[in-house]
This record gives sequence, C-alpha cells and structure tokens, in this order.
Amino acid sequence: MRILVIEDEAKTAKFLKKGLVEAGFVVDVAEDGVEGLYMALELEFDLIILDVMLPSLDGWQVLTRLRQAGRRALVLFLTARDAVHERVRGFELGADDYLVKPFAFSELLARVRSLLRRGPARPQQTIRMADLEIDLLRQRATRAGQRLDLTTKEFLLLTLLARRAGEVLSRTLIAEAVWDMNFDSDTNVVDVHVRRLRSKVDEPFPLKLIHTVRGAGYVLQSDQ
Amino acid sequence: MSCNQTSNAVGISRFWGTLAFRLTAGYALAGLLLVFFATASLYLVLLTELEKSTDLFLADKLHVLRTMLRERPNDLDALREEVELESAARRYEQFYIRLLDERNTPLLTTPGMAEQLEMPLLATQTRSRPDRAIAMKGRHGQSFRVTSAAAPVGSPPSQTDTIQIAIDVSQEQELLARFRFWFWAILLGSFVILPLVGYQIARHGIRPVEQMTTTARHISSTNLHERILPDGYPVELASLADTFNQMLDRLEESFGRISRFSADIAHDLRTPVNNIRGEAEVALARARTADEYRDVLESCLEEAVRLSDLIGDLLFLARAESPLTHLHRERVNVAELLGGVREYYEASAADGGVSLTTMVDPKPVIAELDRTLVQRAVGNLVSNALAHTPPGGAVVLGTNAGFSTIRIEVSDTGVGIPAEALPKVFDRFFRVDSSRSQGSGGTGLGLSIVQSIAQLHGGNVEISSQPGQGTRVTLHVPASGAR
Repeated sequence: MRILVIEDEAKTAKFLKKGLVEAGFVVDVAEDGVEGLYMALELEFDLIILDVMLPSLDGWQVLTRLRQAGRRALVLFLTARDAVHERVRGFELGADDYLVKPFAFSELLARVRSLLRRGPARPQQTIRMADLEIDLLRQRATRAGQRLDLTTKEFLLLTLLARRAGEVLSRTLIAEAVWDMNFDSDTNVVDVHVRRLRSKVDEPFPLKLIHTVRGAGYVLQSDQ
Repeated sequence: MSCNQTSNAVGISRFWGTLAFRLTAGYALAGLLLVFFATASLYLVLLTELEKSTDLFLADKLHVLRTMLRERPNDLDALREEVELESAARRYEQFYIRLLDERNTPLLTTPGMAEQLEMPLLATQTRSRPDRAIAMKGRHGQSFRVTSAAAPVGSPPSQTDTIQIAIDVSQEQELLARFRFWFWAILLGSFVILPLVGYQIARHGIRPVEQMTTTARHISSTNLHERILPDGYPVELASLADTFNQMLDRLEESFGRISRFSADIAHDLRTPVNNIRGEAEVALARARTADEYRDVLESCLEEAVRLSDLIGDLLFLARAESPLTHLHRERVNVAELLGGVREYYEASAADGGVSLTTMVDPKPVIAELDRTLVQRAVGNLVSNALAHTPPGGAVVLGTNAGFSTIRIEVSDTGVGIPAEALPKVFDRFFRVDSSRSQGSGGTGLGLSIVQSIAQLHGGNVEISSQPGQGTRVTLHVPASGAR
C-alpha cells in the first residue's frame, strides 16, 4: 500500500513517514502543495494524507485539482481548525476522512487502516488470539476453553481490541466505539473499564494479552 | 499638485462636516435674517410715516387756504401775505402755493415756484388725481410732493378755480438715503460679526464634547480605569459621560477577565511544556538504557496528551462563543442519554465506592438536543461529582420535563463548594482548591464547558451547594430547538 504525505511542517512529515513505514506502508513525502499535486498526478497512490494549510497551493486546491484530474485516490485531510464548515468543505471537495491537529498517531493509523479496508468486509464469526476465542454470533468469549463472564460492554470492548489486534487504540476511540461517548472525557474512566476487563481476561492466565501503551492507549496482542 | 487639491477638497469637506461649522452657519444665518427683517421693516415704517405726515401737512394747508378764501373771498393781499410769510419762515421743507382762476390764469404764486417746478407738468399731473398728494421731480432734481384742489379763488369765484401746493421733501429723501446707508452698513457688519460670535458660541458649546473626546482618546488597554468625571458637564453630556463610563466598566471587567484567562492559560500550558522539556533534557544529558528512554518518552507523551486535551477544550470554548456555531439537533430521549453516561462512569463510581444511579420520570423526556454536546456536559458533571464525593456517597442523575424546558440534574453527597467560591465556579480555569489544580487532571474548564453547552442550547446552568452536604447542578434547556 502506497501513501503520499503532503505536509510542509518537517517534523510532522517525518514522524508520519516513520510511523507509517513501521506500520508496513510505502510512504512518499511532499513538502508543499505544488510538489504534492505533481506527485499525486504522476504516481499512483492508494491514499493521500493532505495538510490543509500548505504554502504555494493549499490543501483545498490540491484536492480540487486532483479530483478534476479524475484521480480517485483516498484522501484524508489534516486540519488545525475543527470548524464544522471546514469539515463540510473537505467532504464536498471529495475528501474521504479528516483529523484535527493535534491528533494521536494511533488514531491516524486506525483511520488509515479503516479507509484502506473499506469495501466488503469479511463477515467474521470467531476471532482467535492465542488461547482467546471470541464467538461473535453467540456473544461468548473463552480463554483456554474456559468461559469468560463478561458484561455486554466488556464483551464489546474485548471484541473491539481483538478485531484490531496489534493496533494501539486510544482511550477516546474506545470510549466512542463502546460507549458512544464522543468527547475527550477524563480518560481514566476507560482505564477503569480496561482494568476490570483485564481482571477477567488476563489475571487468571499466565499469558497477558491486553497491554497498556503509556500515553497512547491499549493494544491486544499475544507477544510482548 | 492634484494631490494638494485633493487634500484641500478633503479638508474643506471635513470642515463642512464639523458641528462647529454647522452651528456657526445656523447662528449666522438666523442672525442675519433677523437683522435684515428688523431694519427693513423699520425702513418701511419710516417711509410710510414720512409720506403720511407730508400728506397731512398738505391737506392741512389746503384746508387753511380754503377757509381763508371762504371767510375773506376778495382779500387776495391778506392771502398773499399769509402765503409768503409762511413760506419765507421755512428754511427746509420749502413749500409753494399757486392759485389759479377758472381760465388757469395764476392769481397768486409763491415767489420762486416757477424756478423750482415745471408748471404745466404740475398742472397735468395733479389734475388727474385731485385732492391726492403725488410725488414729482423738480427742475433741479429735488423731490416734491404736490397736490391740487378745486377752490373758489377768482372774482367772481368759480368751482373750477384751483389751488396747487407743492412741498420740497428733499430733506426727507436724504434722511431715507442715510437710513438706507446705515441699513446696508449694519447688514454688512452683522455679516462679519455674526459668524464670529456664532463660532465662539458653537465652540463654547462643543468644548465639553472635545474634552470628552480627548479623555476617550487616551484611554487604552493600559489605563482602562480612567473615567470621565461627569461634574461640570451640561445634563445631556453628563448622561453621555455616564453611559460612556458604564461601557468602560464593562470593558474593564471583560478585559480583566481576559487577562486573567491568558495568565491562566499560560500557566496551564507552561507546566506540561516544562515537563516535556525538562525530562527530555535530563534524559539526553547522558547515555541511558532503552527502558529509561522508553519511560521518558512515555511521560512526554502523557504530557503532550494533556496539552492536546487542554487545547481541545479551549478550542471548544472559543467555538462555542462564535455566533456561527450551530448545533446538530436531533430528537433525544434524555433518560436514555443519562443511562448511557451512567453506564460509562459506572465502573469508576464503583471503584470509588460511590453509588451512581439515574432517577427519571416515568413519562419519557424527549427534547431536540445536540446529543454529543449534552453527553459531554453531563459527563463533565458526573466526572466532577465522582471526583468530589467520598466513598459511601451517592451521585444521582435526574431529568424531568417542564412546560417548554427540560431539566437535567446531577447531584452528589460530596464535599460541597464554599459559598464564596460558588459564583466563580463557571469561570474558566477556576478551581475551588487551587492546590489540587494539576495532579488530579482536570483542566479547570469542565464547568465552563457545561455552561457553554447550556447556553448554546438557549438554556442556562444553576448550581447550589452545601459544604459537607453535597452539590447539585441543574441544566435548564428549552425542549425544542425552534427559537
């Protein structure tokens, strides 16, 4: 999967590239709008991460010309202004998603993955990770064959982590996905829920699956 | 050159626009008109009065002559004596008399009359209008008033005999000419003096306004405490000064709030930035193990997240103040919304040994609200309540519908808020216990955000608290979005 990052702020471009490369993507960086548009038109990209505030040619113009040229590459735009009209404008011009700065890298990665995954999702019936098995149809989870006694929300939380195993999920994302809380609440509320889930899923077993990534969120994986 | 002209034109038009100019022009015009009409009407009165007195004099003379002719019909000598004596006694306003018989033969003429007047002209002019005085020019250009009347003069007397009388009114004409001269002189004088006086009056009237302007001009953000002293101004301006001062009061207050706010922001931003900087600096001072680096990076990340949250909250508040902000209203079952929030905080409450329950009307409470924002408001309130309620306490979420508004209430049995702090709790960055400002998370913006959300919905927030007993926060929000 090939991603173009159009971002004039060098540090941001650098960490975006590093993070995305480590997540397994091929990444090119353009430092301004003109260069970015040129690269986007000359080369094939699956996804373009586009900063709105750019020198020489701003993000909106890049997006407009790209769509005029008939390029269907997915576009995720980054904006520092979280105003409704800004978002609406982005979508009207043909963007696929957006993120407001400052954002968590894990959040960006999650959005990128979900954008690239769009399309017919494979209907899953069970998710397996080491000795953990989640039966989505019957809403049951077991570890080493042992039934885990989970509340509805705990089951949802575990499923979320398992579906995106290996991905660091931010507390905000978890709160939104499981409890439909669409705001940055004090995040230790999520910590409490995760701790409760852990006490049921991990505590009785030697192999720990739920890991805390300090400052970022939680990830479900079988190896450390 | 053209530039110069333009600036002149601008200068003139600016001058025309000044209040002083308009007042001056008004005063001067009114004054001039007054002087003009006063002197002009005096002149007209004088003119008619002079004419009338001359005419009366002539009529009088005519009457005397007629009487004499009637009493002593044939005593022409006595008549001549009378006529000559009287006319000789006058130095100014000479008058002349001629008596004619029916064949127009002069019987008696004041000496010198023929030198002064065109006799035939006199005869023709007066004949057409007997017994009425008319104006006539003499041979040397003097002004006369002349009249003629039928009277029995000759021997034998006949009804077609005539008396002609002429009086020299040059003196009166000169008087009128002098009057006209003074009339124009006064008018000219007024034309010069009135604008000057008017300008002085206008300046005097405007001076307080200018003083006020001067005071207003040097009020800036640094000396907002300055005020216009209302003493010494006329009533109208004193009320203006008062209004102006009230505006300054409000400005000063909001300015003070903003600068306190800025100071608070600076403080709250500085702390995490300082932590990041310090930790990174110390970490880089010498070689460390991977674990140590990891620890520092993680700590930096935590601080950065704190900064992001703070910025997010500040942005939210700034946006909420913008008049362009609009809500995404939808029909919301408030009890369900509260249930969702309760579920989210349930684990935290249980951890803290606090019971978290909802208490809702059996009647469903439905309102058009921005779900996300109300969720956020209630979330903030619950989070506050849990943080300030000791183990064993209770936090209750409640809602009910009024006539056109709904109420959402979060009450706790926590430590409460001192009465003196209560009015300030909605201020940004205000924390009841300033010592716990950092550690416990919380940006100090939570209640400000709750208030903003209520106001965005066209509602308000109420808070009541008893220290040691608990706190109750109530949102009052219109049930329908239509305003």
